[in-house]
Amino acid sequence: MSALLEVRGLTKRFGGLTAVHDLDFEVREGEILGVIGPNGAGKSTTFNLIAGTYAATAGDVRFAGEPILGLAPHRIAARGVMRTFQHNRPFAGMPVIDNVLVGAHTRFGATLWSVVLGRSRAEEARRRERAAELVQFVGLGELARADVTTLSFGQGRLLEIARALAGEPRLILFDEPAAGLTAAECARLAEIIRGIAARSIAVLLIEHDMHFLLPLAHRVVVLNFGAKIADGLPAEVRTHPAVMDAYLGSHAAH
Amino acid sequence: MKSENPLALRATPLIRGAGAFIVLAGAAFFMGDYHNDVYRKLLLWVTLALGYNFLFGVCGQVAFSHFAFYGIGAYSIVIFLFQLHLPFPLAAICGIALCIAFALAVAIPSTRLEGFYLALVTLALGQLFIVVLNEGGTVTGGTGGIANYRLPEIYGLRLRGPWYTAVIALLVVATYAVLVRLDRSWFGRACRAVRDNPEAAAAMGVDVARTKVIAFTLTSVLAGIGGMVYAFVDNTVNPPIFGIENAFLLLFMVIVGGAGRHAGAVIGAVLLFLLPFWLSPLVGHHHALVFGVLVVAAILLEPRGLIGIYDRVADRYKGSPSR
Ligand SMILES: Nc1ncnc2c1ncn2[C@@H]1O[C@H](COP(=O)(O)OP(=O)(O)OP(=O)(O)O)[C@@H](O)[C@H]1O
Ligand SMILES: [Mg+2]
Repeated sequence: MSALLEVRGLTKRFGGLTAVHDLDFEVREGEILGVIGPNGAGKSTTFNLIAGTYAATAGDVRFAGEPILGLAPHRIAARGVMRTFQHNRPFAGMPVIDNVLVGAHTRFGATLWSVVLGRSRAEEARRRERAAELVQFVGLGELARADVTTLSFGQGRLLEIARALAGEPRLILFDEPAAGLTAAECARLAEIIRGIAARSIAVLLIEHDMHFLLPLAHRVVVLNFGAKIADGLPAEVRTHPAVMDAYLGSHAAH
Repeated sequence: MKSENPLALRATPLIRGAGAFIVLAGAAFFMGDYHNDVYRKLLLWVTLALGYNFLFGVCGQVAFSHFAFYGIGAYSIVIFLFQLHLPFPLAAICGIALCIAFALAVAIPSTRLEGFYLALVTLALGQLFIVVLNEGGTVTGGTGGIANYRLPEIYGLRLRGPWYTAVIALLVVATYAVLVRLDRSWFGRACRAVRDNPEAAAAMGVDVARTKVIAFTLTSVLAGIGGMVYAFVDNTVNPPIFGIENAFLLLFMVIVGGAGRHAGAVIGAVLLFLLPFWLSPLVGHHHALVFGVLVVAAILLEPRGLIGIYDRVADRYKGSPSR
């Protein structure tokens, strides 16, 4: 089976700084691909390139066989690539459930005209029900009607996930979803991510915490200074000399 | 969706809308000419505030062109009817088309750039519009505007006195219904998402530029329709009405009432419209100062406006947070 996402020669330069350099990797349906690397290695930039937030300097990204590089972010989302942000970005003026419904934006079929005529209520009710299920799924069921500004940091992380799932993605990009979570929340998150992959959604997962990532990922890509320095099974990557050097070395230096 | 307000009647939207219309229109039949005139202007301000709230409060766009579009609607219906002698429905359609054309011409280039740009462009449009009105010669009537016309018979109907007030009441109710429906749909959420965090909105699949252009065009057209109705309230149109001062007053109404909330826009419009009537006997022409104080107080003490205060009181009795 061919890959759902294929990244070839992806490069991004910010002025003189090469944040991502000639990167190749692919992700299949139902696969969890871990992306690790020290701070500033270019992980988030890679996500921003795939999601269309940044324009690439060079390279090719194919999603379901079609090139998506250069498309606007909302078009990429509409094709089924949803993401979470490294730093929570809720829609502060809306309750939790409405935040999740924004994630389902591209799945609404009603035209503005039918909204004005009041003919879109059934679809709205159906979507709202589905969004409520997702809020439940990530464990925020009690807080569906709450103002997002009242959420804790960890609850905000979960909201990011529910919102991304609402878009019915075929590929989901998680940027450090476990950062700042308690051990219990991490365990729950690992559960959720496994559940997502089990629905044959492809998962790209950036994570610093090896204890969280290695048991979860099917394969791992290691970045350093924007370039891929290793990839393979979690067990292989863990003992890879270049990884020990670059990644663990830089951590030891802290 | 069931209303959460325990005081709200459990009635279908259609019945509620019809009820609101009957009450608003019916009131006009118990008023004399002077009060009918004041009441009509109040209803028009409420309509304008509802539309502007959707643009500014819901979609987060700071624009000062609302009164220019009100004026485009008013002048265009008068010019099309009495200078070009178009039949009424055609004149109305042409007026709306003109509003759409102007709105797109303003919104498409300015929403591509960052938010501040729209404020500047619409400020310029507002000023330019007044200049065009003043210099428009026989077409716009110059500084004196156009007068001495009357609402023609529309399909044999002669709408006079309180009956014309009923038309305005219908406009208010219809505007409210349309905006509330839009707000409670994917479109309204997209607008709020664009306001709160455009980058996250785009990542969720919202076409940010398109959403802004639609919201701007739609609310500008609503202002234009309000202007068409206004043209037959005073049976005269002249430049000062459509100036930038009123655009700021509209902004104040929305902020004081509670930006982003339809009920807030209504409360803000009613309060700030009526305030000068109460204040003038007390402080003369200094009521502008009171407005300034009110706006600053709203921003500093309760950024959610009067409706925010109402929410807090209501929450205390209900025990659950409302949106
Ligand atoms: N918009 C930008 N403009 C200029 N430089 C940028 C921009 N975004 C990222 N960079 C730079 O690109 C490099 C890679 O950043 P990136 O955010 O992708 O790292 P990361 O691997 O996600 O790191 P972290 O683990 O800290 O999140 C860094 O040196 C960063 O300073
Ligand atoms: Mg990062």
